[in-house]
Amino acid sequence: MEINVYLCMYFFQELAKYEDMEDQVVLTEKDLLEDGFGEHPFYHCLVAEVPEEQWTAEGHLIVGFAMYYFTYDPWIGKLLYLEDFFVMSEFRGLGIGSEILKNLSQVALKCRCSSMHFIVAEWNEPSIKFYKRRGASDLSSEEGWRLFKIDKEHLLKMATEE
Amino acid sequence: MECVVRPCRAEDCVEVMRMIRELAEFEKLPDQVQINDQVLREDGFANDPFYRCLVAEVPPEYRSRDGHTIVGYGLYFFTYSTWKGRNIYMEDLYIMPEFRGIDLEENRMNLGSPGICTPNYAGKGIGKKLMSKIAEIGVENRCIEMKFVVLDWNQAAIDFYQSQGAVDLTAAEGWHFFHFKGDALVRLAQGQTGL
Repeated sequence: MEINVYLCMYFFQELAKYEDMEDQVVLTEKDLLEDGFGEHPFYHCLVAEVPEEQWTAEGHLIVGFAMYYFTYDPWIGKLLYLEDFFVMSEFRGLGIGSEILKNLSQVALKCRCSSMHFIVAEWNEPSIKFYKRRGASDLSSEEGWRLFKIDKEHLLKMATEE
Repeated sequence: MECVVRPCRAEDCVEVMRMIRELAEFEKLPDQVQINDQVLREDGFANDPFYRCLVAEVPPEYRSRDGHTIVGYGLYFFTYSTWKGRNIYMEDLYIMPEFRGIDLEENRMNLGSPGICTPNYAGKGIGKKLMSKIAEIGVENRCIEMKFVVLDWNQAAIDFYQSQGAVDLTAAEGWHFFHFKGDALVRLAQGQTGL
């Protein structure tokens, strides 16, 4: 479990580098362990492993992962939300990403989810093509949904205002 | 006017379902509501619930024209960011139109258009009270951020959220929502994506 968490941390940082947002990673391995393997898991993770003869030069046997959790749409019920999805660059184009997505969709259907949701940056053309080729639709373009966030400082202000 | 914001109970699901349908009408997507109050109840009151909900309740003497005392709801759940950890996600925030624009502090009604908060009354009513409670729950549970979506034509909501410090990540960082739904999800699971 600890090895997996360490590897997950490595991947989260790799994904942040790919998305050019490295300085935004503030999570630690301790947080990941507590939040993923405590009484109420906040996330679930699937990993893609290769046999020893295909380990990377650095000795990695886990070459891809997907991190997901369950959310809720009051119109259609349970959803599977894909938070992160990453395959190491030297292992792309081999069908590993497709296999991970296939596994995830099977988890979604088994848990009676109507849909699998995720976000993609609009500049990320390879990912957009990857998902659209497999039947995904862009709800932001089609229906006008915009994602907003409120940071902790403003949450605190809202929570403590009289 | 008193208004209590409290956790939704199983028996409140009928009322929450009524308001879910009203919100879908307002968002011009009424045909998309596919669940009913029974499903809502099962999914919200299981051992590991899929969502949590707060309701806004008024005393009987302030009930709505149709006789309802539950006049708003906020539906939320916890999500996770690989970079920052726990988040709280506000899925729905809805107040019945006749209860919008009420200044709870001064106990006055905003006599402007329903569904629109004039500047004097924005942030003092039931919607703000519900949202503040969700923010409080987020802080108590060590959440680093609250996230939610808004339709791009809903300028009144966008203005209100931005006044509370919200940032539009779609505009600022280019994030788009995607989904695999229904048949597309089934085909993906069967490996039949036509590739």
